[in-house]
This record gives sequence, C-alpha cells and structure tokens, in this order.
Amino acid sequence: MYTSIPKGLTDLTLAIEKGTNAVISNRYNPFYYHGALPQFYLWVLFLSGLLLFAYYIPTIDNAYFSANLVNAWTSVDYITDKLPMGAVIRGIHRYAGDAMVITIVLHALRVWVTDRYRQYRWIQWVSGIVLLLMVLFVGQTGYYLVWDERSLVLTRMTVSAFDAVPFIGPGLKTWFLNGTAITNLTLSNFLFIHIGLSFTLLFGLWVHYVRMTRPVITPPPAINYMLMAILLVVVFAYPITSGKMADINSAPTSFDIDWFFLFPYWLMAKVDLTTYWVLMVGATVGLCLVPLPSLYKAANPIEAAEVVLSKCTGCSLCSKDCPYQAIEMVPAPAGSRFKLLATVKPYRCSGCGVCVGACAFDAIDLPNLLDTDVTAQIRAMAEAKPN
Amino acid sequence: MSEQKVITLICERACDLDSVCNDKGEVKEVDGLHVVKLPCSGMIQPLMIEAAMKAGAAGVIVTGCQIGDCYYREGNRMIRERLLGQRPPGLKKTVDRQRVLALWLSRPQKDRFLSEAKEFVAFVRQLPTPPPAAAKPAAK
Repeated sequence: MYTSIPKGLTDLTLAIEKGTNAVISNRYNPFYYHGALPQFYLWVLFLSGLLLFAYYIPTIDNAYFSANLVNAWTSVDYITDKLPMGAVIRGIHRYAGDAMVITIVLHALRVWVTDRYRQYRWIQWVSGIVLLLMVLFVGQTGYYLVWDERSLVLTRMTVSAFDAVPFIGPGLKTWFLNGTAITNLTLSNFLFIHIGLSFTLLFGLWVHYVRMTRPVITPPPAINYMLMAILLVVVFAYPITSGKMADINSAPTSFDIDWFFLFPYWLMAKVDLTTYWVLMVGATVGLCLVPLPSLYKAANPIEAAEVVLSKCTGCSLCSKDCPYQAIEMVPAPAGSRFKLLATVKPYRCSGCGVCVGACAFDAIDLPNLLDTDVTAQIRAMAEAKPN
Repeated sequence: MSEQKVITLICERACDLDSVCNDKGEVKEVDGLHVVKLPCSGMIQPLMIEAAMKAGAAGVIVTGCQIGDCYYREGNRMIRERLLGQRPPGLKKTVDRQRVLALWLSRPQKDRFLSEAKEFVAFVRQLPTPPPAAAKPAAK
C-alpha cells in the first residue's frame, strides 16, 4: 500500500486523474503519459534547435567579417527579424525548454506522490535527477548563446561560481571559457556544450529507461497536438526579444530572470558562493538519497519472485510480461526436457506478481503469497457453506 | 441458489474495501461476496478464475486500478488482455464469460464497486445452472 506518502495527497491525485478520465478517457489522459511529455518536448527542441543552428554564428565580434558587425547577437537578431518564421522557431525553442522543465517537475511530483520512486526504482529516480540537472545546464547555456547583456552577466556569474570550487575550480573556469577570458572561442564552447550535452541527454535517457519493459516514451498524437498548440499559443502571445547586445567593456548588473532555468542565479546573487555550492550539492545529494532502498526495507519488504525449477517449461511468457526486466531466460541445465529456464534477478524484482499471472504452469511464485495458497483460499471461499 | 458465492480478486491498491469487509474478507453489505487481495491485479491467473468457478462460485469479479495507472506499470492492462484473450495465458473457453466482471477502479471508488458488485451478484445468481457455454466478451 501507499505507506510513506501522505495518504490525502495520493487520493487527491487519483481523484483528479479519475475526473480527467471521465472527460477525455484513459487513452488520452496526460497524467498517464507524464514521463513521455518531456520526451516529446525534447524532440521539439532538437528539431527547432537544428533550424536555429543553421543561422547561428558563435562569435562575439568581427573575427571573420570586416564590413559590418556580425556576431552571435546579430545572427540571433537576423533569425528573429529577417528570417520568415524565425521568431516563431526561436520562440518554440525557448518555450519548449521551459515546458520541458515544467513537465519534468510534474513527472517527478507525480512519481513521488504515487509512491513510485523507491527501492527497485532507485536507478530511475537518480538518473532522473542527473537528467534534470543536465537539462537545466543545457538550458542555461542556451541563455548564454544569445549574447545579450543577460548572457554577459550569466557568464560572469558562472565563471565566478566555478572559480570558487575548491581544487578543480580554475580548471572548470578554463574549460567553461575555453581560455582565460571571454573570447570568440568562449561562444563556440558554449555552442558545443549546448548541443553536445543535449545529445548526451539521450544516453541519460537510456539509463533512465533501461530497467523498464516497454517504457512509455511517446504520447498519443492527440496529446502531442495539444502540447504543440499550447506551445504555439505562448509563442505568439509572448514573443521573445533579446536584450541589448553584450559589451565586454560594460558591467551590466541586472537582468530579467527566467524562473525555470535561471533560479540558481537568483540564489547565487542572494548568498555567497560557498553557501551556494553547499546548498546546490546538498539539495542534489539529498534528492538522490530519497529512494535509498534501506530506508524502506523494513516497512515494505520485497520478496523477489522464485522460479520452481522442476515446473518451468521455458516458455518465456513471464520474462516478456515482467515490467522491470527482472526475469532473464537462460539455457536450461543439461538433462532438462526444455531449452530455456527463467531466472529472476532479485534486485530488480518489485514483487508485483505479474509473472505469476503470466505463468500457466504454476512455475513461478511470490514466496510470501504462493499462488497455490491463493487458489486454495478461493476454493475454500467458494465452497464454504453459508453460516 | 441465492447462497452461491461470488469471489472478488482485487489489487490492494485499487478501490479500498477494508472498511466494508469483515475480518474474514467478506463484504458486509452483500451476502456471499468474498474478497481476495493480491499485490497487483496482474498477479491474477486465469487458472484462479477457473478454480473459483469449478469450486462452485457463481461468478468472479476482477478489480484493478484504472487502466493506465498501475503501480507496477502494466499489471491491470495485462489481466485485461488475458481476460479478453489477447495475451497468453487466456481464460479457458469453457468458462462462462457472463460470470466474469472486470472493474477498473482507483482507490477512492469504493461506492462504485459496491453498486456494480451488487448488480453483478444479483445477475449471476439468477443465471441458470449449469451455465450454458455462452461466449460473451468478459471485460466491461
């Protein structure tokens, strides 16, 4: 049962989902695709980012052009003002990023509220936190790329934050700036981080999905159209504008904040850098410890399913149906009549019993609830004389 | 006839029947309606439904969480597909489909369960025995 979560919160979520089902049916309930929503926005970001990449110039001054000033800021300006639909693509790229953060947070909240984050699911939770950090950093580098005054402030704040890290600080700073000061090479490094890290997200997502059979990664088209429509409404209602072009010799001090990506900078401005890093690292480690198996072992013991070796025919139905890839088919031992034998990986097993339902030969059992006992109980109940 | 039992196989995370059951797992309001709790509706074997019928139960109610929302990701979908014959192992052809009811209810939906169950119990008890081998779709 849902033991470690406030019961009212879980009931509220279930009631909201029930209401949503009544209106738009189970098939199109976005709550049942909460993990697939950020994934959809990721594809939107890849596609719109590719289009922006075709026109973006990662420099800060006239390194290659002499007649007019051509740099990151003017190329973004060109995309926004001159290119047909350029402003729309730019808006989509910006707001899809915001939407991705929102949907990731909603995904994490639902997973927490419905108690689906701990023990055998710890790898999904921890990889999810790493993915969120990566998404935030990718999004922040996107803000540096525009190269307006905000980008300059953010870059300088990031440099000072990296510089304050003990031991590896100077190295981080040099890596981040691609040198010792802000130059043309800095912006190409930002572009590399922005694109390279966003493709690394795919590797992180592989880890995120690896223990799940048939992960739900694509919402039905109807939901995709809805997500896209919401995005376009925001894009046209609140067009994106750049600030003034960054001037390295100036020292701007304030900027409009995007709360979805830039909240760490708000914190950075409030506290000193040591406190900042302690808070950020502390929060990350704290979140990663939430699903620690030993915290829940006593309250929710999991007894992994066990295969009855003499009965297993190697039909592999349980292995196909297991939702956590916990059952592996191995070659049957010599002398067996069958080719394969099911084996359970106990650290992946959730003890849900789906494999028991999948087995037509009584060959797999939950040790704390034998299916023979359940059947016997059913028989006893059905045969009992009325009292 | 009216004393024939009806067995409910229910996921412990689906609608919460603790408050309406006595300590022997029998629903207080409906005579002869027994409840067997399982960790997930995906654990229900079609064999269990057949065993209940063979032992003389009038019908079986299968209850899982709302389709799309399974704590263990896919359990309720799997038992639904098994009942509908879309996923092996399925229910034997000899099992009268009229006597199996599937309900997909989330935890707060206790009242819905009771009203549906009352109707179903009354319905299966008035069916003639031995049941004709009608092949109606099982899941609702």
